[in-house]
Amino acid sequence: MRKTLLLLCLGLPLHAADPLITYENRPMGSVEKPMLLRSYLPDPDIDDAVFSQHDTGRKVSKYNPEKGADVKGEVVPIAGIAAGIGVNFGPALSYVFDTTECRLLYTWQGGFVDMTPYWGDKAKGSRVSFGYVPQLVGTLFWKTSGKDPIELNGKSLTDLGPRVYTGYRLVKGVPTYEFKAGQTPFTLTVTPSDKPLACTVTVTTPGDGTLTWKGIDGATGKGTMTLTLAGSDIGKFEGYKPVNNITKATSETGEKLFLQYGCSACHSVDGSKNHGPSVGLLFGHEVEIDGLDKPVLADRDYILESIKAPNAKVVKGYPPNYMPPFGLPDVEYDSLVLYIESLAKPE
Amino acid sequence: MKSIFFHIGVLGALAVQPLHAAKFNDCYKVESIDLPSGVPPEVGAIDFAEDGTLFVVLRRGDVLKATPTSDPNAFDWKLFATGFDNGCGLDVISPSKIRVTQMAEMTEAEDTDGDASADKFMRFASGWGLSGNYHETNALTRDGKSGYFIAVGTASFSGPTFEHTLGTFSDAGRRGRNYSSVKWKGWVLHSDAKGNITPWASGFRMANGIYQDTKGELWAGDNQGDWKATTPLYHVEKGHFYGHPSSLVWDPDFKKSKDPLAYYHDHLDEYNKDRTYAAVEIPHMEMNRSAGEPMEFPKGNHFAGQLLLPDNNGERITRVMVEKVGDTWQGACTHFIDGRGLHSGNHRARFTADGKQLYIGQTVRGWGAPAEGLQRITFLGPVPFDIDRVSITKDGFKVSFTQPIPDKLKDDKAWEISSCTYQSKWTYGSDPENKKDHQVKVATSDAKSVTLKVDGLDEHRVFKINFPKCDSTDGSPLQNNLAFYTVNKVPK
Repeated sequence: MRKTLLLLCLGLPLHAADPLITYENRPMGSVEKPMLLRSYLPDPDIDDAVFSQHDTGRKVSKYNPEKGADVKGEVVPIAGIAAGIGVNFGPALSYVFDTTECRLLYTWQGGFVDMTPYWGDKAKGSRVSFGYVPQLVGTLFWKTSGKDPIELNGKSLTDLGPRVYTGYRLVKGVPTYEFKAGQTPFTLTVTPSDKPLACTVTVTTPGDGTLTWKGIDGATGKGTMTLTLAGSDIGKFEGYKPVNNITKATSETGEKLFLQYGCSACHSVDGSKNHGPSVGLLFGHEVEIDGLDKPVLADRDYILESIKAPNAKVVKGYPPNYMPPFGLPDVEYDSLVLYIESLAKPE
Repeated sequence: MKSIFFHIGVLGALAVQPLHAAKFNDCYKVESIDLPSGVPPEVGAIDFAEDGTLFVVLRRGDVLKATPTSDPNAFDWKLFATGFDNGCGLDVISPSKIRVTQMAEMTEAEDTDGDASADKFMRFASGWGLSGNYHETNALTRDGKSGYFIAVGTASFSGPTFEHTLGTFSDAGRRGRNYSSVKWKGWVLHSDAKGNITPWASGFRMANGIYQDTKGELWAGDNQGDWKATTPLYHVEKGHFYGHPSSLVWDPDFKKSKDPLAYYHDHLDEYNKDRTYAAVEIPHMEMNRSAGEPMEFPKGNHFAGQLLLPDNNGERITRVMVEKVGDTWQGACTHFIDGRGLHSGNHRARFTADGKQLYIGQTVRGWGAPAEGLQRITFLGPVPFDIDRVSITKDGFKVSFTQPIPDKLKDDKAWEISSCTYQSKWTYGSDPENKKDHQVKVATSDAKSVTLKVDGLDEHRVFKINFPKCDSTDGSPLQNNLAFYTVNKVPK
């Protein structure tokens, strides 16, 4: 660590020497120092049957806080793993273990996750609205389905009773998960394999009960079982792709950017109050500005100025220095202004 | 004190600056503490070990530790543990064992092999759900019996839920602006020493910080927003409902409706009867936009026994002076420090064991411009000229000061008092209503205080107490000339 701090003092890049999490939105571990990340994690279309110990998030009507009532439109749930643990061994292996189902969910190679949608941009801070789940990087080679493939004496762990996660221990940085299925304790460890598109899984349980992994010949053992979980290329993922290559400013693009840059975390589009003033019912209306005697007309110039230099005219009742200036290409500014113009009238 | 004499002598300012005058910089030093270069200083929680080691939970997952040094840039940071999801509550059990409330659970992390980093991560407490919404962070305080109170935040309609949720999903709880689609969002929970949780109090929107004081009283702030007219500080009692309806979908004793949000929207009078009001309502713009973790000024401090309340959306920390009238908690707030080099994003607070330094953890990650870091305030010794306390009398307020006051403050004309009411409802914050100006007279005064007689002192009103900036009799400049007192009950 001392050596590391010395390197830090010299301003050398962190990731080469130190495992600290930085602003790098594609963090990686290594075989020697695996990285363990608890965060919302991607759900690459895992079989619904796997989530037997979860409930189902259901869609809901859009809600307008000004009225305190539902309005036209609906909000639908998104895909994501709520209480998973992501582990990365560098390009060799990544996997997600779920603490709710107590099982390995999926495995991939060649990268880990792109945290940009959740961690946001160093300068701007914001996550991506409604799409903040990190995105996979690499080649997905295995994902689970149906009942837990791990069996004790011929019975899937899913059928042994409720699975309850206890915790994990690190041995040389590699986590071994501990959980119970019914009354029986188990451990699970996942490590890289020297075979392509594969990993090594070790399962233990006290006593000499017969462990098997359904569907893999020879994957068996008494009280302990180590197997190679080999898969195939079932999908390539390239991380987060922002809206880009915009050639023409449109209101529709503006709406996408409004979500991408996290604007909606602070600005409603229906006239209701939030951390920042609403951009709904704004265009063409007068706005009271801190320090000015007379209201200002919210025209194109005003809106453009407010996005480029948020402190130039601060709306009464809202704090200054809260919104970062967004250094964007003109076509993106124009798109955002067009979108805000389109919100001038109630839906 | 010596250095003050020295400076004054050197500057030759003796004639205009009396010897004992204490300016802000004589009393407090605000410093920013560097974390390792390249590390996002998004501080979720802080706590000290008994040996003085400072632990810092960062919201991307790392927990760093260091022994504080007098040079704020020379902390010898080491990684103690990693792999926490948005840890916002921290209890350091020993230099080798910590407990962290993260999104899905409370986890105990321990170094069992003596290599100074944790290798055993066991679930300590769980039982609240996780919807997949970004807003559902949790905070903790010790309960004094080896257990905890845990404040569980609601979700925001600025984000969705997942298709598969941890814990039972409630359609009615999912409605609204900030919502409680899975269990115990918007609740304070109690955890016993073994990690068994029970629900304690409901109606919170986002209690970003909870604190049990040295007398055993439990305090939690909240964030101005839906069903929170302005930033409140609540005295938290078992079984009480603090005003945000969505959490009630999980209360088996709430039988008025299956949709508490809609019910109270339509029955605001009943809502006002059913809820427990804030002990102190803290005006949003003037004082505190979003309450962080309450913390008590320790013994030996000139504000000992009072509470501080970090502002998560402002470069300031509020000072709160609570008192009990009959069975009712209420009190006043003023600035502790406003500006003076403080960052925004203030939400976690810990005093050093000697009480001479206050560490503040900061982050607003996910909202607006980044405002984050770790700062500390050192109490240099001299006591500033400031409001010491505002307390209620049967017909007004007693305002006492830390230093002898000039005659100017003993004059009726110095005092301006106005008041307003706040009605929490579904809107994102509520404007002050029923504003009134009040006639005020100085009934009595002594060297350090005035007792004000206020016409129209009334309950459920927040009184703004304003007076001119002036110097104390020894020439110390006044730090704050504004206070608000929330009258829940007028003493008889």
